[in-house]
Amino acid sequence: MISRRTIAAAAAGLLLGTLALAGCAGDSGSGEAGEVTGTLNFYTDKAAWKPDFESLNEVSGDAVDITLKTTGYSDANQYDAFIKQSFRTDKSPGLFTWHTGDSLKQLVDEGLVAETTDIWSQAVDEGWVSEDLRDSYTFDGKQYCVPMNIAYWIMFYNKAAFADNGVEVPTTWDELNTAAETLKEGGVTPYYQTSVLFTFQWFQHLVASTDPDLYAGLTTGDVKYTDPEIVDIMNVWLDEQKAGWFSDAGSTTDPAVGLKQGDYAMINFGTFFAGNLEGAGMTTDDYGMFAIPAVNDSLDTTPVAVESGPICTAENSKQRDLGLAYAEWWMSPDAQTAWNDAHGDVAFNPKATVSDPALAEIGEQIAGDGYSLYDRFFEAMPTEIVTTAIEQFGAFNANPGDPMPFLEKIQATADKYWAEQE
Amino acid sequence: MAHQKTPYQWSARGFVAPGVILVAVLLYLPLLWTVFLSFTKYNGLGSPTWIGLDNYVEIFTDGDFVGSALNTVLWVIGTLIIPVGIGLAIALLTWNLGGGIWLRLPFLIPYALSGIGVGVVWSFILSSGGALDQALAAFGITDPPRWLLDAPLNTIVMIIASSWQGVGVNALLFTIGLQAIPKEPLEAARIDGAGGPRLFTSILWPMLRPLTAVVVGLSIVASLKTFDIVWGMTKGGPGTVSETLALTMYKETFVNSDYGLGSAIAVFLTVITLIASVLYLRQQLSPKKEM
Repeated sequence: MISRRTIAAAAAGLLLGTLALAGCAGDSGSGEAGEVTGTLNFYTDKAAWKPDFESLNEVSGDAVDITLKTTGYSDANQYDAFIKQSFRTDKSPGLFTWHTGDSLKQLVDEGLVAETTDIWSQAVDEGWVSEDLRDSYTFDGKQYCVPMNIAYWIMFYNKAAFADNGVEVPTTWDELNTAAETLKEGGVTPYYQTSVLFTFQWFQHLVASTDPDLYAGLTTGDVKYTDPEIVDIMNVWLDEQKAGWFSDAGSTTDPAVGLKQGDYAMINFGTFFAGNLEGAGMTTDDYGMFAIPAVNDSLDTTPVAVESGPICTAENSKQRDLGLAYAEWWMSPDAQTAWNDAHGDVAFNPKATVSDPALAEIGEQIAGDGYSLYDRFFEAMPTEIVTTAIEQFGAFNANPGDPMPFLEKIQATADKYWAEQE
Repeated sequence: MAHQKTPYQWSARGFVAPGVILVAVLLYLPLLWTVFLSFTKYNGLGSPTWIGLDNYVEIFTDGDFVGSALNTVLWVIGTLIIPVGIGLAIALLTWNLGGGIWLRLPFLIPYALSGIGVGVVWSFILSSGGALDQALAAFGITDPPRWLLDAPLNTIVMIIASSWQGVGVNALLFTIGLQAIPKEPLEAARIDGAGGPRLFTSILWPMLRPLTAVVVGLSIVASLKTFDIVWGMTKGGPGTVSETLALTMYKETFVNSDYGLGSAIAVFLTVITLIASVLYLRQQLSPKKEM
């Protein structure tokens, strides 16, 4: 016969086990459906920007009575996995940063993010955002998420390196090449490059500004990476590598520090890189910015890569309404002016005030006539192709040579991806 | 006839239950889920789609996967020769030596560091224009090897970096093994005139065998799952030339969001690790082979 003591011990054991498992599931979260004021749980993979986000709490508290409780991840892959898993729980975020392009499409296809069509309609009507930018957030005629920021991918340069070698800011492709030759002859490496992660930008510029249709064809699979036009472009890049125009791809020196030290004279990066340069101790007296001239000077406009990072609300979040209320405020000029004061970059809202005069100037220049925007390679291509391409461009930077083996590997991934879409 | 359960057995089961539940839920269920996912196409959202053996076919026909597997083999061989070999040498040289613990201690300290931390530190040393290149330049060597850019040199230097971390713990384990050897056979061997290499080959090495089996077994398992130090130093690059199987698994799962393919690699790696461990330990620790 089983004693009471035995039953009690067994029950205690099961209870402990259940409690342990319940502990793993986490708490039920805060906030109720329908609430549009209060504390909003916000998740981001931009951990370094957490103070910038939280510094907006005073402004958003006064304006819409919402403050952010920010959780920042510093590992992007870990963050993406966390967000994906959160949709299965009742802890899906009221607000989170994500990526445009294929990554956002995946969430939309599964019905995981809240629609923001009304917010976009109002913002476009108010002139707070361009129609062009809306396209990156549109799926089947509806909008999802709102832009957290935009960044133009341009060229930063070391003013002293240019001045010492008598180089002026180039306005044509030929002038850029002459500048690179002059700098090289003066003992300064013209361009920065790496073998890890940010390996795609020179390829993206060479393709998009040689023939925008060619770049568009790559994003849809209509153009192959092994097509002769792409091989020709890679050979242009190879010639520049052979001329010694690029820095050592194996260096781990902070790129901003490298530009400050004069390890290279120019670096192709997003406008947010201005913050890194200031962090490295440079001011706009030390560095300048220019839109990279098009390779093909017969183009009507100079193509400039644009990156836009979204902030989204999970459809099944308990804080869905709170998140959407914050997103609506986020689009406003007041919010974007405050964000620009806190963070510093170009602004997607033309009515916002950009605090850095140099960024304001280049933002206005690119938003004006003579320039056209295209999606950055990272967002424009499907994730698997991006991963392989970044690796292969990194390998090319490390060991420049016949481009075909690199391009064939990228195309193999592209073939597999597009075959699965049929 | 089944045994009547005693009250003691019932209460014992009650106490064991939480542990069993935790192990089942946190270890075996994820394992079964991983095996299931390996037969699917799944991006981490929605529901997995059953595709049979396609993921396994893909990993065996993909040249990059073969490269990862070869690098992993290099890691297994390298970490057997360097940290296990040097660990044994340090244990032997400091054994029975006054203050031997103080000689072993410096080798043991790196073991306390995380693999990713070791990777970051060594990438500062070995990157182009890094600490080692600057030191070599001081000796007039201005065109040093490209430590982390050329294969298989990058894998070899990463094995050395990993060895720097792993030597100490191997030395410690071998020291424990040496101290456990009874004094009588050693004294008898010494009286018979055995010393130096003869003492090692005829007495110490055979008597260390059970411990060597464990150290080598642990080393094989650890090297098969090498990830953090490579991720910290090269991210598997340039391109994919320094990837290991564990890194390829991580990349497919969390960078490409191809959870099915990542799971297939995880299952393959688990099977290989289990086979290697069981075969090796059975062969080494079988009672017939004992002294």
